[in-house]
Amino acid sequence: MNAPPLAYLDNAATTRCDPRVAEEVERFLLEEYGNPSSVHPLGVRAARALREARETLARCLEAEPAGVVFTSGGTEADNLAVLGFARAGHGRHLVVGATEHPAVLEAAKALGAEGFETSVVPVDRGGRLEAAAVAGACRPDTAVVAVMMANNEVGTIAPVAEIARAVRAAAPRAAFHVDAVQAFGKVPVSIRACGADSLALSSHKIHGPKGVGALVLAPGRRPSPLFHGGGQEGNLRSGTENVPGIVGFARAASLAAEGVATEAARWRRLRERLARGLAESSPGVVLNGDAERCVPTILSATFPGVPGEALLHHLETRGVFVSTGAACHSKRGGSHVLLACGLPEEAVRSTLRFSFGRFTTEADVDRAVEAVPPLVSELRALAR
Amino acid sequence: MERGTSGAGATGECLVVRYAEIGLKGGNRRYFEERLQRNIRDALASTAPARVGRAWGRLLVFPEGDPAPALARLGEVFGVASVSPAVGTEKDLAEMEAVAERLVGAALARRTAAEPVPFRVEAHRGDKRFPMNSVEVNRRLGASLLAKFPRLKVDLDHATLTLGVDVRDEAAYLYVDRLEGPGGLPVGASGRVLSLISGGIDSPVAAWLAMKRGCRVHFVTFHSYPFIGEATKEKVKDVVRRLSRYQGPTLLLVAPFAAIQTEIRKGCPEPYRTVLYRRMMNRVAVRLARRHRCLALVTGDSIGQVASQTLENLRCAEDASDLPVLRPLLSYDKRETIALAERIGTFGISIRPAEDCCTLFQPDHPVIRGDPEVCRQVETEIDFERLVEDAAASCEAVRLAEGKPDRVLAPGAIVPSPPTPDPENPASRAAAGSARPLAPEDLV
Repeated sequence: MNAPPLAYLDNAATTRCDPRVAEEVERFLLEEYGNPSSVHPLGVRAARALREARETLARCLEAEPAGVVFTSGGTEADNLAVLGFARAGHGRHLVVGATEHPAVLEAAKALGAEGFETSVVPVDRGGRLEAAAVAGACRPDTAVVAVMMANNEVGTIAPVAEIARAVRAAAPRAAFHVDAVQAFGKVPVSIRACGADSLALSSHKIHGPKGVGALVLAPGRRPSPLFHGGGQEGNLRSGTENVPGIVGFARAASLAAEGVATEAARWRRLRERLARGLAESSPGVVLNGDAERCVPTILSATFPGVPGEALLHHLETRGVFVSTGAACHSKRGGSHVLLACGLPEEAVRSTLRFSFGRFTTEADVDRAVEAVPPLVSELRALAR
Repeated sequence: MERGTSGAGATGECLVVRYAEIGLKGGNRRYFEERLQRNIRDALASTAPARVGRAWGRLLVFPEGDPAPALARLGEVFGVASVSPAVGTEKDLAEMEAVAERLVGAALARRTAAEPVPFRVEAHRGDKRFPMNSVEVNRRLGASLLAKFPRLKVDLDHATLTLGVDVRDEAAYLYVDRLEGPGGLPVGASGRVLSLISGGIDSPVAAWLAMKRGCRVHFVTFHSYPFIGEATKEKVKDVVRRLSRYQGPTLLLVAPFAAIQTEIRKGCPEPYRTVLYRRMMNRVAVRLARRHRCLALVTGDSIGQVASQTLENLRCAEDASDLPVLRPLLSYDKRETIALAERIGTFGISIRPAEDCCTLFQPDHPVIRGDPEVCRQVETEIDFERLVEDAAASCEAVRLAEGKPDRVLAPGAIVPSPPTPDPENPASRAAAGSARPLAPEDLV
């Protein structure tokens, strides 16, 4: 096989499973298929694999193994934290960032029916949340504060440790939840360093299988469960454990955590290369987010006067796959993230997101840099 | 007009299917009946196989299993005026009485209140050799039912429970319920039409109404790839697949439209763009209609609903079609169209978000009262014959049916496909879903 014909630059939507992970998943589908609750050797071995996976995750995030609750993915982890801590908490008030993932925003909205109020904290033009602003939104009855560590559309990193300190001072009884889905594997993530009560993680964003994630809890913190049943996952997530997914997730997590330092440097070079290439060859391009404080895997670029959807589909005919906004809601209206960053609607519709993963190469970036400018001028000429 | 059954069994559970309008079609009657018979057989084939026979101006359906799914399915077959679940028995009064008691007993058990039930028996005697005439049958069965069920009160004018009895050559058929069918004419009885369909709410409803009047409907959709994505095409396919339940496997043509929109965008006055797109769609559609022997086009236009649907602009569009353009929704309010879309099951698909028309091609101020003369004039700026020719020649053609895999008849020539899947790269495999391997020119 020669060079792949496809420059897949949509890794923030999902990633290709690492073959080393896939191998592990396959083994647990075909050979080690026991139920961890069974008492025969197959079950016992599954329980052991589950325990080891939990320990691996805990090690990666500087957490206690008992604090790792495996879920069906990032959305469930966010829901478990927001709904679970809200229902277990003392107050009737929530604080969330304006650029949170819908898993957090919609969960908070759903709590409206249970009498909760939500304060939404605005971000600056770079998409950055200020600790003081978060603390300022807290009230004595704040039950949950939820912020994302790295934004999924613009890549901006929030000062979570600083926010944690400010929140502790302003609302000592509130649970502080951090959505680390896009940050994990791109920058070092530790629940201790974050000062968080919980972290949401997803496997398929780090070259693991889809359908698995985790909510990592600080010692002693316990949300109310969403599912009731057999009492698995410390009674926080009933249901037979997705052992192949969990084992694959743990393998993906340790690969991601191991490689984060070297990979981050490589991604920074790729991001720099893409940013420079786009800026040089496509006049008028605007890079969104906060270049100083971002994950190195996401680049959001606005091409004024060019409909993003049209550019995206023209790029796909050149073998370059990107996205407008986030994949999970790119089919609905404008991006709430870019709007929250203060972009006018027209700019939002002219924005593409390029995102990297482990398998992204310089050649992929070059392919995008070559393909974009002629298409931008072609589409701009049409728009005139 | 009396006729025996053809191929239908006689006794046991069956469905009596009545048709309304096709009974009026004089010399064509046999043709319509056979069409309906075939349509019912096809409609039931996959979910509830049944024998379907024609008898005395009705159809008799004998399901192989439970009649309930067959009954539900018949509610989606055009030409069916009403259906009664029935029981066929030997023409023996004692047996008929037993069946009548069972049917009426069950019907009474479904009524909760213990009030008197106004009731009548309505017998027809097709078999004149049967020793009792219809009045006698009414009286005998009525008497035995009244004796058995004291709740029944004979009331010929205001009956809420009617026992129907058809005495025929091969058997007697008894039934109590009568369910409304969708009416209309059997699909195929009126000929073929080509429906212009988008991802919107209206065009599927218009196509469904054409089917209701006996048209077999082919579909064409205009796809401006790569200005809008494959997802929009998939949505149209989902709509057509859903509509296929009313007429069986259905042909969808996907006409590439990017080149046409680009040329109009570049060469023609902005306010006229939308009207000109419609004219070009009609031209391509007419060409495809001729190729597929369709006698008319069908659109979802409703007078005055949007700028392109003023009378003037409808005239501009029609001016570019030398086939009749049927507009079943002409007089429908949006509310009425939505209600129908919900009923036929396309609404949920139509409101799924998908890119519609690229903003590059939309005019800021579309003309409200277009003039066909102006259209013809400005079209001299583009080589529209060639554009129409190219679009019609490079359509993707696919046959769609609910619950079955798509059958690609022609992969389409100009619309670029996503890149070839790379076996080493699962991501690319997920992204590529096209019928045609990628040609080198697609990637340069």
